[in-house]
Amino acid sequence: MPAYRNVRLCGKDCMCLYVCPTGATNTENSIIDTAKCIPGCMACVNACPSGAISMIPDEYPPQQPKSPEVVTEQRALGRSKVQQEEIAAAVAATTDSAVTRQFAEALAKSNLRMAEDILRESGYLLPQSAEARELLTAMLENTAPDFPTDAVERLLNQLHKTPDQN
Amino acid sequence: MRRFECSVCGYIYDEAVGLPEKGLAPGTKWEDLPEDFVCPLCSAPKTVFKPLGETAAPQPAIKRNNPVVNGDRAHGDIRDLSAGEIAAICSSLAKGCEKQRLIEEMEAYSALADYFKTKGMAQGVTLADTAVMLNEDIAKGFAAAKAAAQADGDRGALRSLIWSEKVSIMLQSLLDRFANEGDDMLSNTKIFVCDICGFIMLGGAAPEICPVCKVPQYKIVEIERR
Repeated sequence: MPAYRNVRLCGKDCMCLYVCPTGATNTENSIIDTAKCIPGCMACVNACPSGAISMIPDEYPPQQPKSPEVVTEQRALGRSKVQQEEIAAAVAATTDSAVTRQFAEALAKSNLRMAEDILRESGYLLPQSAEARELLTAMLENTAPDFPTDAVERLLNQLHKTPDQN
Repeated sequence: MRRFECSVCGYIYDEAVGLPEKGLAPGTKWEDLPEDFVCPLCSAPKTVFKPLGETAAPQPAIKRNNPVVNGDRAHGDIRDLSAGEIAAICSSLAKGCEKQRLIEEMEAYSALADYFKTKGMAQGVTLADTAVMLNEDIAKGFAAAKAAAQADGDRGALRSLIWSEKVSIMLQSLLDRFANEGDDMLSNTKIFVCDICGFIMLGGAAPEICPVCKVPQYKIVEIERR
């Protein structure tokens, strides 16, 4: 559980430099050196007067369960937003008008943000969840030559180290 | 004196107060506002305002007839997901990894999102096609989804629906205008999209915070003309 500094909040109060027993907070790019950071130490988190440092959790609880009705409706609406995104992206790719392209690109981005949020709330909130693992496992059946199988395997190995981990 | 609420951002126009900074004196009636009046906070058009004090008739829950859940798994069957839907789930999970500072995992989910995105390209379509689907979402889809989320006390799902319904109402007004005005709609304005909720705003500068999800300005991006 290493510490993380939010550079937008950092007031350069320097307390983290004074309290860190390993010098992990003293870097030229403001990113705390996780190789030096002592997991769970908390000294910099407690000392920072700007509240700019927090601990990144190692584990997360299972995500909240979803009812089948909620899943059905979120998926139906998510599907609609995805289709609208695909249409807008196709218009942006084919139109001759720079202004129409600008508007279509905005529509595509807007619909993708809505689709991501709506589908996230259909049971895909947490990257480490059992639902995400099942989605990844099903992807392993994809044998297309251009399919990035290595990305799936990396996620299954790094995010889902044990079978019963949520 | 009556009051009217913007259904996108919640701004209330009070006839008794008017909007003096826009030249609308106290006492200016709603019907006397110009037709091109827009919400001073989110620039939504006059048509999305609703009178306050009138309780809207409860919307009957409209059930869709395309169930996508098979068996007893509450997250549905992943084989029912289209390539575009998997792309959206993967790009959302990539952001989840980014928030957890898991950079390699973020890149892996992004690679999957990119792969599936290219498999779902539409062809021979126009923006009018999206308007038809959007109108259907606003007429039926949101009511059905909100009813399901409310029945289950699922505040996360409800939150996503409230935000995206507001964004959808704004998109509907922009698509209506675009159908009438064409490219002229954007001739003298910039266009901004909230990178969190997808809200679209026309204007000279991005707002201090998103009118829908309240995220600060640095997460609202300008879409350039190119």
